[in-house]
Amino acid sequence: MSANGLIIDAKNVSRVFSMPAGPVTAVRDVTLQISNGDHIAVRGPSGCGKSTLLHMLGCVEPQTSGTLLFDGQDVSRLSDARRSLLRLKQIGFVFQRFFLLPMLTAQENVELPLSEAGVPRQARQKRAIELLEYVGLAARADHRPSQLSGGEMQRVAIARALANGPRLLLADEPTGELDEATGAQIAALLDRVNQAGTALVIVTHDPALADRAARVLMMRDGQIESERTR
Amino acid sequence: MNAIGFAWRSLVRQPARATLGILGVAAVGALLFDMLLLSRGLIVSMQDLLDRGGWDVRVSAGELPGSGLRISGAIETAEAISTLPSVQAALVVRTATTQIDRASGRPIRASFQGVTTRSADPAGSRLRAPWTILRGRDAEGRNEVVIDEKIASESRIEPGGEITLRASCIADLEALPATRLRVVGVAEFPFQTTNESTIGGTFDALEAACGGNVGTEADLILVTSKGDADVTAEAVRTLRPEIRAATNTEVVGRLQQTGFTYFRQISSVLTTVTVSFAVLLITVLLTVSVNQRLGEIAALRALGFSRSRVVKDVLSESALIVGTGGLLSLPLGLLLASGLDRILKGMPGIPVALHFFVFETEALAIHIALLVATAIIAALYPMHVVSTLPIAATLRDEVIG
Repeated sequence: MSANGLIIDAKNVSRVFSMPAGPVTAVRDVTLQISNGDHIAVRGPSGCGKSTLLHMLGCVEPQTSGTLLFDGQDVSRLSDARRSLLRLKQIGFVFQRFFLLPMLTAQENVELPLSEAGVPRQARQKRAIELLEYVGLAARADHRPSQLSGGEMQRVAIARALANGPRLLLADEPTGELDEATGAQIAALLDRVNQAGTALVIVTHDPALADRAARVLMMRDGQIESERTR
Repeated sequence: MNAIGFAWRSLVRQPARATLGILGVAAVGALLFDMLLLSRGLIVSMQDLLDRGGWDVRVSAGELPGSGLRISGAIETAEAISTLPSVQAALVVRTATTQIDRASGRPIRASFQGVTTRSADPAGSRLRAPWTILRGRDAEGRNEVVIDEKIASESRIEPGGEITLRASCIADLEALPATRLRVVGVAEFPFQTTNESTIGGTFDALEAACGGNVGTEADLILVTSKGDADVTAEAVRTLRPEIRAATNTEVVGRLQQTGFTYFRQISSVLTTVTVSFAVLLITVLLTVSVNQRLGEIAALRALGFSRSRVVKDVLSESALIVGTGGLLSLPLGLLLASGLDRILKGMPGIPVALHFFVFETEALAIHIALLVATAIIAALYPMHVVSTLPIAATLRDEVIG
């Protein structure tokens, strides 16, 4: 861990996609630093490159140019296996569509990243129950995703993302599939996660969710057009 | 949760698809197993049939025993063979056509096997006849015979009864004298075919049945070696270069080069087809399953699941389908083999005791090896799909979709 608490140091990162009609620049010369405990919202019109930026920060999308350091390590120089390990231990993802595995219970879904990290059975069961209690779903531990509401599924997904105690939690439209009231509950839960020390980057169209962030980045045409701090 | 546990849950998630895959592999695996049993079944069974009587060298006038050609001066030849140092015993087999009269109904056409009782055994004991006694005792006297189950059943004669037969030893057209012989036993003749009837007795009994017209010819001389059968066969060839002496292994080898080759070729072709079909079936099932879960797989990769882990999950899924189907294929294959064996043995000229499908450990080992290869090959494409899955693009597509 870097001494100054810097998690991500992105300098002039760009992402260009080769398309049949010609190259498309999704993210253009973005420079961004994310430190421990940051709470950042990324807003902007559809197709402005928000999700692509989030994926680059989450080490699942390589940059075409620029440098992206995660905890001082140049991500582009890491092997696929090292990047997977980095994501497993340091980064949590929350998706708009939850992506819980339907054949597993809520608890088993939360246990998955722990299992992949080699945590022993008893320890991972204890941790999963703790996390489900944290998100208020301990009573639903044995339920399958099909037996949960949208908000409950997203809470399980957040618990899963927190399983290995990541330093950075990335959420792509976490309230996109939820009604307003449920969305607010998820927003409050994410606030709690951030207050507990986990850096949080949320890509959202929802102004109410974005307004809870300490920093709001406005993107347009792949660039950060403005940054508002609270 | 390890890869196998995860794969099991993935299979249970789609029970209909998993069942279809497992049943498909079971059916294809059963055929594959049968083809492997068939590929060597005849050879193993024939070798067993030849070895069963304890005779390890067969001397005949033609390339293969049973070709119809006869050995002239057979008795003298057998005596000369039995004096060879490597030979323990030699037995002459002479076959004649007979008709067994019945009180009512048409006569039964049968083959009469007459065997000598000569031996080089120092104890001078009688040689074992090339048939197995099921009831009663073996024929010894000039007027004693053993009959097969078919004759016993059709003419309702059991040991202690008598049959009247007309045997033709020289030519089919000769006038057949009627002879009454006592039935002392019911026997199984290993090379008897389904539609054939056979009686057995001493050479003297055959001579009596043929009215003394046996001549000096014989169909076969069966030899038992003291040691190496190859040495005995070579010694016989040196002694009488004009006749053919072959060890049981050589006889099987010659059969392999002729009729048995077809079964081997058929089984090879069908093995290839069944394995290809199994590979295609599993590949399609796994590919469809993987394509339906691309979003989940991309999410797992984003959460830190390694490329090798998601590949292992797919391989484990393939192994579970093929493994479970493969286990089911064994009893299914044995059941199918038994039915097919019955059908194939109905072909004319096939000895009743010969089997087309014979279980061998080697066949089981090849079956398992082929199924393992099937599980791996079938998983190659879906493994390639998950290992090269672009995580971000897939997550993006899932949201847009």
